[in-house]
Amino acid sequence: MSDYPKNKFPIDEFPTDETDGTDKNKPSNLFNLLGKDADTIAVTGGSEEFIVNMGPQHPSTHGVCRLLLRMDGEVIVDLVPIVGYLHRALEKIAENRTYLQFIPYTDRIDYVTAMICNHGFCMALEKLAGIQVPERAEYIRVIMDELNRIASHLIWLGTFALDLGAITPFLYCFREREKILDLFEMTCGQRMTFNYMRVGGVSRDLPEQFIPLAKEFVEYFKPRVDEYEYILTQNPIFLGRTKGVGILPQKTAIDYSVTGPNLRATGLKWDLRKEEPYSIYDRFEFDIPTGTNSDTWDRYMVRIQEMRQANRIVEQALNSIPEGEIKTKTPAVFKPPAGEVYVRVESTRGEMGFFIVSKGDTIPYRVKLRTASFSNLAVLPEMVRGWKIADLVVIFASLDVIMPDVDR
Amino acid sequence: MTKEQILQAFQNKFQGKIEEIPFVGVDVAFKVEKDSILKVCRFAKETSELSFDLLASMTCVDYIDRLEIVYNLFSFTHRHKIAIKTTLPRDGESDSVTPIWNAANWHEREIAELFGMKFKNHPDPRPILLPEDWEGGFPMRKDWEGKDFVRLPKK
Repeated sequence: MSDYPKNKFPIDEFPTDETDGTDKNKPSNLFNLLGKDADTIAVTGGSEEFIVNMGPQHPSTHGVCRLLLRMDGEVIVDLVPIVGYLHRALEKIAENRTYLQFIPYTDRIDYVTAMICNHGFCMALEKLAGIQVPERAEYIRVIMDELNRIASHLIWLGTFALDLGAITPFLYCFREREKILDLFEMTCGQRMTFNYMRVGGVSRDLPEQFIPLAKEFVEYFKPRVDEYEYILTQNPIFLGRTKGVGILPQKTAIDYSVTGPNLRATGLKWDLRKEEPYSIYDRFEFDIPTGTNSDTWDRYMVRIQEMRQANRIVEQALNSIPEGEIKTKTPAVFKPPAGEVYVRVESTRGEMGFFIVSKGDTIPYRVKLRTASFSNLAVLPEMVRGWKIADLVVIFASLDVIMPDVDR
Repeated sequence: MTKEQILQAFQNKFQGKIEEIPFVGVDVAFKVEKDSILKVCRFAKETSELSFDLLASMTCVDYIDRLEIVYNLFSFTHRHKIAIKTTLPRDGESDSVTPIWNAANWHEREIAELFGMKFKNHPDPRPILLPEDWEGGFPMRKDWEGKDFVRLPKK
């Protein structure tokens, strides 16, 4: 290793005091993002204001995200999120793969809700090519989507509570999530990145034991949500940390295109499954939980209730799933007609959109992935001004941002 | 408002500048000239019968000889969705719509960085996804060549 070139590791390039002999306190250019006077603050040192770097590796950022904070004492004056550490150029990859080869990549957009990403992409292609999906496949898709929604919310709840210092909910949540992952594994062999849905249906039928086991899970899960609520909802410490913290006004939320539970927590009753029903969501009975104060506690409450509603949908779908085909016959070489399509689905985190430009070839000309976390993270600076660092951790966690979903 | 009425509203306001195009999954889609995009967007957001308050998505497509910017808009009040397209030359400049929807801020940064065009009056024109020291050009362009990038062979 001795002949390994110097400056090869990024750490070697990190600005140190030696870089310029004249001004030892001069911060790196990045810190200037926080305002023109950031220089002055650090050099004079007379003010209480200073800059804190949080991340890219930080336990509370749930991925690789860097936050630059300008602090006045313990209070956050401004914040700049720096993203892109997980950029895998999925949109570029899509232009270099056939449509069907890209389905496994959609799992990696948001690995916590891979089923819904699969669903959205296949649905966009079906809409473009005018393919009908058999009844049974639609039911399977809805069951998978909603189970995945519960699993995703469980991860969120566990890590959210963990960020608040409560370790028990994390263990409880992962206990239940394990059962959902077992159901997925039984169906498609995978626990996280499923590659389960196909254009025109799903890749394989449900195994025989799936429906009884899933029904058992639905019954098992109902009291479990009460258990989480028993630990958290009226806990005075929890209330103190979340009630009234990180308020996101509805106008700001819409201005920044915030969607999903974060938008519903502001009191706007908007859910694509209800308002613009895709697949067969119009056949099921479920409510859209909304908040009133748009604070962290509301965002928590909306997701808790969403788990109950998702469970309700799974129960209804399991009871009414018909027998039949699971996939429409499509040609082995899939060629949608030339055209452009924008399709959106309600992902766990909000609106997940697929914009596809087809030139009638086997390869997409352009695929744009509109992810919910991208917009949900952009609004963070608006929410944290005036709060303390400890609150930032809670507010960030309550937005339920998944970094691969932001960077794509 | 029906599909025709939406299109009519835009056509009345911007005569001769609106050209309808096919687009699956939205109520109506049209193309406008690059110079009037800011006015069209402002009209779409601020007219009460339209009130497109959500910029659902914004992206760019490279056609080698030109770039096309696509805006997907949605209205919570009226439940309409439309797509607006505008064409500009590569290395061209388009008006930033960030003053209308803050959501456009990050989308525009992403487009500018990956496609190599500019947004006029953008409040924060920094790169967003690529590394700070990136010197590899504009990777989302169709003719981009990278060191480790292998193109799918043409049949």
